[in-house]
Amino acid sequence: MSDIQTPPCVGIIANPVSARDIRRIIANASNLQTSERVSILLRVLTTLAASGVERVLMMPDKGGISAMLLRSLKRERSQNHQFPELEFVDMSVTSTVNDTFFAARSMQQAGVNAIIVLGGDGTHRAVVRELMLGTQAGKKAVPIAGLSTGTNNAFPEMREPTITALAVGLYATQRLKGTQALAQNKVLEVSIDQGQRRDIAIVDAIISRDRFIGARAIWKTDNLEAAYLTFADPQVIGLSAIGGLLEPVGRTETGGLTISISDDPGRCKFRLKAPIAPGMIADIGIAGFERMPAGQPFSVALEAGVIALDGEREMPFDTHEQVSITLHENAFQTIDVTRCMQVAAREGLYIHQPSRLS
Amino acid sequence: MQVQNPFPLSRDELLTVYRQMRTIREFEERLHIDFGRGDIPGFVHLYAGEEATAAGIMHHLNDGDRIASTHRGHGHCIAKGVDVVGMMKEIYGKKGGSCNGKGGSMHIADLSRGMMGANGILGAGGPLICGAALAAKYRNKGEVGICFFGDGASNQGTILESMNLAGVWNLPVIFVVENNGYAESTSRDYGTAVDSYVDRAAGFGLPGVTVDGTDFFAVHEAAGAVIKRAREGGGPSLLECKMVRYFGHFEGDAQTYRAPGELDDIRANHNCLKILGDQLTAAGIISQSELTKIDEEVMVLIEHSVKEAKAAPFPTLADLTTDVYINY
Amino acid sequence: MARKISMKQAVNEALDQAMAADPTVICMGEDIVGGAGGNGEMDAWGGVLGVTKGLYAKHPKQMMDTPLSESAYIGAAIGAAACGMRPVAELMFIDFMGVCFDQIFNQAAKFKYMFGGKAETPVVIRCMVGAGFRAAAQHSQMLTPLFAHIPGLKVVCPSNAYDTKGLLIQSIRDNDPVIFCEHKNLYAHECEVPEASYTIPFGEANIVREGKHCTIVTYGLMVHRSLDAAAVLAKEGVEVEIVDLRTLSPLDMDTVLESVTKTGRLVCVDEASPRCNIATDISAQVCMHAFGALKAQIEMVTPPHTPVPFSPVLEDMYIPSAAQIATAVRKTIKGSK
Repeated sequence: MSDIQTPPCVGIIANPVSARDIRRIIANASNLQTSERVSILLRVLTTLAASGVERVLMMPDKGGISAMLLRSLKRERSQNHQFPELEFVDMSVTSTVNDTFFAARSMQQAGVNAIIVLGGDGTHRAVVRELMLGTQAGKKAVPIAGLSTGTNNAFPEMREPTITALAVGLYATQRLKGTQALAQNKVLEVSIDQGQRRDIAIVDAIISRDRFIGARAIWKTDNLEAAYLTFADPQVIGLSAIGGLLEPVGRTETGGLTISISDDPGRCKFRLKAPIAPGMIADIGIAGFERMPAGQPFSVALEAGVIALDGEREMPFDTHEQVSITLHENAFQTIDVTRCMQVAAREGLYIHQPSRLS
Repeated sequence: MQVQNPFPLSRDELLTVYRQMRTIREFEERLHIDFGRGDIPGFVHLYAGEEATAAGIMHHLNDGDRIASTHRGHGHCIAKGVDVVGMMKEIYGKKGGSCNGKGGSMHIADLSRGMMGANGILGAGGPLICGAALAAKYRNKGEVGICFFGDGASNQGTILESMNLAGVWNLPVIFVVENNGYAESTSRDYGTAVDSYVDRAAGFGLPGVTVDGTDFFAVHEAAGAVIKRAREGGGPSLLECKMVRYFGHFEGDAQTYRAPGELDDIRANHNCLKILGDQLTAAGIISQSELTKIDEEVMVLIEHSVKEAKAAPFPTLADLTTDVYINY
Repeated sequence: MARKISMKQAVNEALDQAMAADPTVICMGEDIVGGAGGNGEMDAWGGVLGVTKGLYAKHPKQMMDTPLSESAYIGAAIGAAACGMRPVAELMFIDFMGVCFDQIFNQAAKFKYMFGGKAETPVVIRCMVGAGFRAAAQHSQMLTPLFAHIPGLKVVCPSNAYDTKGLLIQSIRDNDPVIFCEHKNLYAHECEVPEASYTIPFGEANIVREGKHCTIVTYGLMVHRSLDAAAVLAKEGVEVEIVDLRTLSPLDMDTVLESVTKTGRLVCVDEASPRCNIATDISAQVCMHAFGALKAQIEMVTPPHTPVPFSPVLEDMYIPSAAQIATAVRKTIKGSK
């Protein structure tokens, strides 16, 4: 497989500010502490080393993760614990989402075999957005493996990071092929005025009548207008849960779902209770819903408002602007951890004979 | 066609906020110049660059709500409604200043406005605001206390003890970390073992939220949530505002510890006043000429305050021994 | 005729009456109630020596236990004082002041002046002082001079139950921060105390014994040691006048100077360490203002310049004794011009 870099190199993007937003105040959402994020990284690094990954390229940050990780690695290495060579992307840190974009771009450029992402839906969206731009510009696609450290974690699954790192290791060291290890994912493409402004969502694009970005996280339901979903799982948290409890759509199933939301008695057909954020069970007025076939643009009827992408208000739009949303399939790849580990077990990839090794 | 206001503040309120932020900026920029000229005694720590945080939080407060400020307190004072001319006189050490020339830049206070004082001791405001919040609890009028401190002072035991006490007594306190990345000249990365203030709050059972402190609307929304929570009896919480410091730790600081180009980047890309102005004009509810008019009016106010401060008399020998009991 | 109560009871009664009279008076401190949050009884302790026992039952909203976190709660008391309350914070031992000193000397003491007279900080910080309790170096100090040194603070150290009640109520009503020092070895000391609330003004020393040969200026427990010495000296025909300062800031120098002018001799007795203490302060002022009246050099009786030792034998040697005081007085008589 010529796609795979030798020696194996894995990228890591850990968002220091995921799970720090206003939902901790209004809904007691969890806070994964920096020290815990660093512990996760140490487990991931140890596992990658054990899997034969020799190099790791990581996004630097000024939110405490890299500083603490370096301090911890120094202590660990002084005890002769094994880690891959850790290199930070050469970049000036802005402490904004631009860091994630830049790091993803650099990692794709450097030809990493996979990127492990620590964050919530928002962080994963940023990585995917940048990787898709790179792929469109002709660069090699890089699969991602998500570790949930955010608030809305519809996209990354909850799993012990050691296992995720094992799966990444299997793929990065070519013990599993792309056909065995990777899954295809859907995205929503949001386009304003025929592509004057474009962005993507990997789980949900929510239209709100609010018109400012403010504290970013979307948490008030009074002004919701519509939801567009790549998948809708009744077991996940976030605004996509509205769809999940209405008309479940699988991650790998074809098509998405769109929902019209309204409290207006004239439009509201029924009401639905849904866990739209951790600890927040909201009562949502449903005006209608329909499946979203792939490739077909859906026009947003609202005149002016803000579009929240994967939980965060991102794109305000005005009365003169036309918004359309299109679902695309096979848009980017993720490491399918469940399948990787099943194949590894079936093929006995972790069984070895001491005598043969020596 | 009537343009709809997309923001959670009225047009008038937005104009007031802009004026307030511009006043802080102009006040500090002017002090920077006048200090450089040697007009101002002592030393001053300027708030320029951090205006959105003071304005975003203070917009939710009334005179009955108390704040404990820091050595970098001019912005808090102005946003809390302390008279600008009085402040300027105070900084010049003149009679008629906020503290009659006895406090200076680091000790401006106006308790009638709920401003419990800038403070020369880092982290000292934590315990004090717990007391203010305790008093508020006794009064039972839904008043809150806000404790401002920097990423540097967050390492003071007083702050950690205060978070514990506020948690134990369920006090209506909001701990606001003004995280500008530098404790004096020392970077946050060096001086803070675990660089997350939300994590520290979590250690005491306080919920915390991090916002972009250069975006007025982000601060305003998050502050609104934590303050409402405290007013309603929900207890203490922490708000971390990530921000930038335009000037040095104090005036005269050559800032050689900054990366090359850092200050240019800060002024070009993290100017909270410009960010707000752009948001307002882009939404079409306030015109650039209205903002320019405010800018000019603020210039006049600051010029006036400097003139007044320079013209004001110094305190006299008689003032030396008032406002404290003297035994012998 | 008033009944006799102990100094401990006097503190309790003063707080009780102050809280009853004024709802802004709140008491806070470590274990001043005792048992908070546990499964046993509330008011289990009433302070580490039971001084505030029973107050919680009468004033449950005004009695607050605090975490072991002196900076936080002493600072909170100060902050609450600046916001309209009249808190009485108990800091178990004056020795613990180091933990929260900033809040006292940089915050409470300075607000009024630093803010141009626009802030009042009516906080009282009660603490136990003094040696003799076999409590060793960190629970036995007489740190009164540290506080007397700082402008803006008032420092009170009563020697008996009557003064304790009147001065504590005065401290609570005073608009400045007051460090109220209670000698732990005087808690059991009884005297006649009126039941009704009353105050004793600050800055008024008390002549506890009149005499014409020598003036002893002192405060706290040393008042009693001086009285013991005076009784011995009286048998020798030496009549000692004892001035109990009662408040160290403000300081009643008028009474001291008047007495020294009358007797011509001065012995300063201080339980604090010998350098820069109340005794040296009094001596310096007497030298400045009444040098001509002195018939002999001034004598000082203080502990040695050491930490307070633990061993009972050593501690007893550490604390100034009646015998040492009597010797000092005799020296002034002998060495007279």
